[in-house]
Amino acid sequence: MVQKGSLLYTEPMPKLDRSPWRRRDEAHGYGRATAHHGEILQGVFEQPDGSLHRALVTLPCDLFGSEATFEPSPDAPLAVEPIWKCKARQAAELALEACGLAEWGGRLTIRSNVPLGWGLGSSTCDVTASIRAIADAFDLDLAPKQIAAIAVQAEQASDSIMFSDAAVLFAHRDGIVLESFDQPLPPLDIVGFNADAAGAGIDTLEFAPAQYSTWDVEAFRPLVGLLRRAIYDQDPRLVGRVASASARINQRYLPKPQFDRFEAAVEATDAVGFQVSHSGTIVGLIFDPRDDDTHRNVLAAQALIAEMGFGASWHIQTHATHRRLR
Amino acid sequence: MKIRNVASTVIDAIKIPRLIRLEHNLYAAAFVLMKLLPARFILESARQDGLIAPGTTIIETTSGTFGLALAMICNQQGYRLILVSDPAIDPPLQRRLEELGTTVEIVRAPAATGGFQRARLDRMAEFQAAYPDHFWPAQYDNAHNPGAYAPFAEALVETIGQIDCLVGTVGSGGSMCGTSRYLRLLFPHLHVIGVDTLGSVLFGQPDRKRLLRGLGNSLMPQNVDHSAFDEVHWVAAAEGFLATRELHRNHALYMGPTSGAAYQAARWWAREHPDAVVLAVLPDEGYRYQETIYNDAWLEGNDVRLAELPAAPRLVAHPHEAGPEWSRLLWGRRDYEQIMGAPFSPPGQV
Repeated sequence: MVQKGSLLYTEPMPKLDRSPWRRRDEAHGYGRATAHHGEILQGVFEQPDGSLHRALVTLPCDLFGSEATFEPSPDAPLAVEPIWKCKARQAAELALEACGLAEWGGRLTIRSNVPLGWGLGSSTCDVTASIRAIADAFDLDLAPKQIAAIAVQAEQASDSIMFSDAAVLFAHRDGIVLESFDQPLPPLDIVGFNADAAGAGIDTLEFAPAQYSTWDVEAFRPLVGLLRRAIYDQDPRLVGRVASASARINQRYLPKPQFDRFEAAVEATDAVGFQVSHSGTIVGLIFDPRDDDTHRNVLAAQALIAEMGFGASWHIQTHATHRRLR
Repeated sequence: MKIRNVASTVIDAIKIPRLIRLEHNLYAAAFVLMKLLPARFILESARQDGLIAPGTTIIETTSGTFGLALAMICNQQGYRLILVSDPAIDPPLQRRLEELGTTVEIVRAPAATGGFQRARLDRMAEFQAAYPDHFWPAQYDNAHNPGAYAPFAEALVETIGQIDCLVGTVGSGGSMCGTSRYLRLLFPHLHVIGVDTLGSVLFGQPDRKRLLRGLGNSLMPQNVDHSAFDEVHWVAAAEGFLATRELHRNHALYMGPTSGAAYQAARWWAREHPDAVVLAVLPDEGYRYQETIYNDAWLEGNDVRLAELPAAPRLVAHPHEAGPEWSRLLWGRRDYEQIMGAPFSPPGQV
């Protein structure tokens, strides 16, 4: 029996210990951020002024996440725990500076269960949770685009998980929203797995960005066109079309091993498409929650993925995510 | 939020077609002038590659809508344009081109072998020699012709969503091969129907004089990717003209003859496949054809006035079996040689 939105790991991930952290404390700021499961679409997009921007549309995934607390103290150094979370430290310093609080320091503590190197946005998760914790400590409201701008400054490239109300086409290296789709992605059932679980993982920042051909730069236009329709109509089938097409283009630049088998899995399980983390190793088969057979297909997909030797898989329901976030 | 914005030129304002639902599963993309897309993309790419700048001389041979599209863009962007044409060019079009600042060079006599087409190419070669820094758009062979149709594909899927069948006429191969290649990224099973006319070499018919213009060809452009097509239809001139009139009578769409030919094939296929979403590409408007296709006396004078369209195309197994009326062949995404048994060889060469 598949538990809705649950982890289906043979080795369970550590669960986030949320309860004691969620209490609003005068002296503490609290922030959290959920991870993503790669992207529905990633490529390069022309703006009305003719400029080209690398950008992406992330698929939120609340199985994984980070949370942070911040205890501010004036004229104190900034202490970050764990100490190796350098990007979170950088983001915290930038956030304090951006809020006119450069003289403040304090203790920033981060907890996360986001696997590293899979392309799930572990670093942006830490960064976003940290910025939110700092803002919370000073009772400041930071808009998602302000958080995004700080995150990109700290990380060079950041995902768009800070935009939780609506799907956005986010220029992850420029820190700007190219287009907001006004609504979240439609409800989706995703069966995810790591296509290279034995691999060392990927350092997203060291990954050389794809140098797209003229043809592919043009090809992203119809992809974003169909995504507008998919989100407007809240149609999971069309989302599947966009995600599969984006994964296929990406395969020419940042190839994933055994790619043909993902395509075969889509056919075999009546999935409406598949999505990938374009610079990571995560793959998700996409199912339409409106289909009567979805539950059966999800189980079949998990069995097939195990049979193919990809190991553990997990089931995400983005509709459950939507409910919780609201 | 979507807000309407001002276009900076008429080219930007009209390059994307209007999308209209004709029947429950049949949609039409009605262009004012479809060739604006490739003309603009070819020149814009050339500009970005440093091949042209304002003042550059552009040289092309055409008597059709690609020339008009080039003329409009060159007029707005400050390029000099020389078009080599033949006496078949209609005088109103020639006046319009000249008003836009285009030099229209009419070849008066056909070449000894190769006819007017050869004579035009020879004259163009003379101009190209005289203007060493010229740019030749070469719509038949320039990959930026099919490459230009991404904004069209974007508009289609954003507006309609899933599309199952694309129907349109083939001349240079740009619109159908380009659009289908972009759409198949999203819909790999898209059924693509290329509409040709009898007497065109594109899909293996023997070359002969054709009255239905704007589709078909006597040459084989490199931009025709035969493996893009699931199905090919050959439309007779009289049928295409009547279908053009029916498009106007039934839907108040005043379009050119290529639109009629596309409508003829698309309407039949859509009715045969009521669960499939079918899109017909309508490449230009009807005003150039007021005195011809929209004039019964002209139709009668040319013996192409038809009372009724055939109910269905005749299914043929080989291109040589097509005609004299509307015919179709299940091309099956094969290349030319697979169908014909030999690669295409231009007339006069064996």
